[in-house]
Amino acid sequence: MTRVTPLVLVVDDDPSIRQTLTRELSLAGYDAVAAADGVEGREVFEARQPDLVITDLAMPRADGLALLAAVRRAGDTPVIVLSVRGEEEDKVRALDLGADDYVTKPFSLRELLARARTQLRRAGAGPADEVLRFPGLEIDRARRIVVQDGREVRLTPTELAILELLASHAGRPVTLRQIIGTVWKGAPATTADTVRVHVGSLRRKLEPDPADPRYIGTEPWVGYRFLADPLE
Amino acid sequence: MPATVALVTWFGRSLGANATTMGFLYLLAVLGLATWGGWAVGATAAAAATLCFNYFFFHPFGTLTIAEPANWVALFSFLAAATLASRLVATARAREEEAQRRRQEVEILYDLCFGLFAASQRPGALGEAAARTLRAIGAESGTLLLGTEDRREVASVIGEPPVPHEALLAQAWMARRVVKLDGEGGTVYIPLEVGGKATGVLAAEGPRASRAILESAGRLLGLAVERERLLAEAAYLQAMQESEALRTSLLRAVSHDLRTPLTAMRLEIESLGRHLQTPHAMDSLRVLSLEQERLARRIDNLLALARLEAGLAHPRPEAVPPSSIFRAARESLRLILEGRPVEVRVAPRCPDLWADPSLTLEIVVNLLENAARATPPGRPLELAASPDPEAPTRVHVEILDRGPGVPQAVQRLLAGPRELRRTGDHAAGDSAAGGLGLRIAKSFAEANGGSLALLDRPGGGTVARVTLPAAGEVGA
Repeated sequence: MTRVTPLVLVVDDDPSIRQTLTRELSLAGYDAVAAADGVEGREVFEARQPDLVITDLAMPRADGLALLAAVRRAGDTPVIVLSVRGEEEDKVRALDLGADDYVTKPFSLRELLARARTQLRRAGAGPADEVLRFPGLEIDRARRIVVQDGREVRLTPTELAILELLASHAGRPVTLRQIIGTVWKGAPATTADTVRVHVGSLRRKLEPDPADPRYIGTEPWVGYRFLADPLE
Repeated sequence: MPATVALVTWFGRSLGANATTMGFLYLLAVLGLATWGGWAVGATAAAAATLCFNYFFFHPFGTLTIAEPANWVALFSFLAAATLASRLVATARAREEEAQRRRQEVEILYDLCFGLFAASQRPGALGEAAARTLRAIGAESGTLLLGTEDRREVASVIGEPPVPHEALLAQAWMARRVVKLDGEGGTVYIPLEVGGKATGVLAAEGPRASRAILESAGRLLGLAVERERLLAEAAYLQAMQESEALRTSLLRAVSHDLRTPLTAMRLEIESLGRHLQTPHAMDSLRVLSLEQERLARRIDNLLALARLEAGLAHPRPEAVPPSSIFRAARESLRLILEGRPVEVRVAPRCPDLWADPSLTLEIVVNLLENAARATPPGRPLELAASPDPEAPTRVHVEILDRGPGVPQAVQRLLAGPRELRRTGDHAAGDSAAGGLGLRIAKSFAEANGGSLALLDRPGGGTVARVTLPAAGEVGA
């Protein structure tokens, strides 16, 4: 879909939230359309083919997960879900089912707009680069070399695989299940604790201050998010 | 019996039968008598027949003397054959009777088994099972006791049985065997045995059944009682699950309905801030968003507390560095802490905390917010973490201020029951501003296996000390 102005679909059953979000998205330079529930959301999605979907999870008719499934069947349009604190399982499930990011209610407008920008930028980007570059960090995927602040960091194959996965999803959350699925190919004995141990040692090698990570942030209940912005 | 032998003798003599024929006739009579009357009758008949045989049919007739030695052999052979045959016949008969009895017992137990287990579960099922068992063993009244040997209770009384005899009851329970006094018609104590353990005793009044039947009936009744117990337990668990599902959906609804307007408010406040940039409006919006954040945090905390207390959520502990908690707490309170210096001190060899990160963050956020509100602007606040000097497996996380110290009412509030109910004490309620945050901090600390104490700080002010488990030994 080639458009000059990206089109964003907002699906939420609360009229105030719907109204504010569409107005702010328009002011931020996007075209915005709204729908009140999953059923309407799906109709609008099919009719207008938006570039980004922002959807609530709990809705009266067809919830966000149903809409997400419909969007995923149609393609890889980025989806940001609006989740509620205390219902972490729903959020993790949405991410595992293919949602690209989430914000937790009550979220900030600034945060949501930043996430929307990240998703739209990714959607427009070509295939992943051979070398991932971040401020102070370079990951050469072909040569399997990681350089941080000018010095080479020696990583185990598992640590490198985790780092590559997180860095290629910079700015977006990656669930523990996704990590286990990609790095360990879903080996049944792999637990969340195994992942934590490897991420812990990765942080010790990579982060100047492991207690205040610059690159690998923890997403409580979910997994991890690569914090640094890629260099263009 | 003598009549039969006499009849055979008379019949033989009137026919004029020879000794060989008589031998067979007498043998036939002895076998018949043994079949009818058993081994003792058969043996006596054999002896009587031998005497008659000798007296009437061996030369010289009319005496018990025997002239020919060959007749001795014949007579004793007859005696031996008759005795042996009557014995065999009697044994076969006893066996058959035994088999018959066994079959009846099996029938009784089968009927009992079918009656006990085909019955559907309903109130009074235990009493009915006990009555059925009593009928099966031929007793009219009895008492069913359940529980353990030292804590037993009467579960059911059928008919009008006498009060069970303590010593015999205890004996049946402990030894797990049927206990009865000698003699017929007394009370029999039958243990209900399941998995090598007595779960009760049935005291039955004058049952007419063998010990084997009584034992089996006891086991069957034990299984029936066990089944009732398991069914009741399953029903209870199902009810629990249903009520938990109800609480979960209620909490979800509350949380959705409270957060949706908060989200709308926050978005509107932010949106205003982007478009309405006069100094006065900016100031109002700052206050609005600060209050909105406080309200949102309170609601989050209350819902989290409700989940914990309803058993719908459990703390998920992991190793957390105190410095990261402090940083996150200052970040969440950015607006409130504006213009207030916060000093952070983490002891050099302080271990990580072993606690749920999000609950721990809320503890520190609530206490830090209270400290900020209790202290005039400009005075520094302090966050400190150090190993507990008394227990190296615990860490002290402290929030220190130079405010007015700990009011009595706050101490009372902290010492009070866990429920978030306000007492009728309005004075206490007023001076205990921040009491809700304190209560939440205390509950979260306890949920993490820790505790909260408010101490007067030397030189004025308050130390809020949270003691939490350490992820490892000091310096490890």
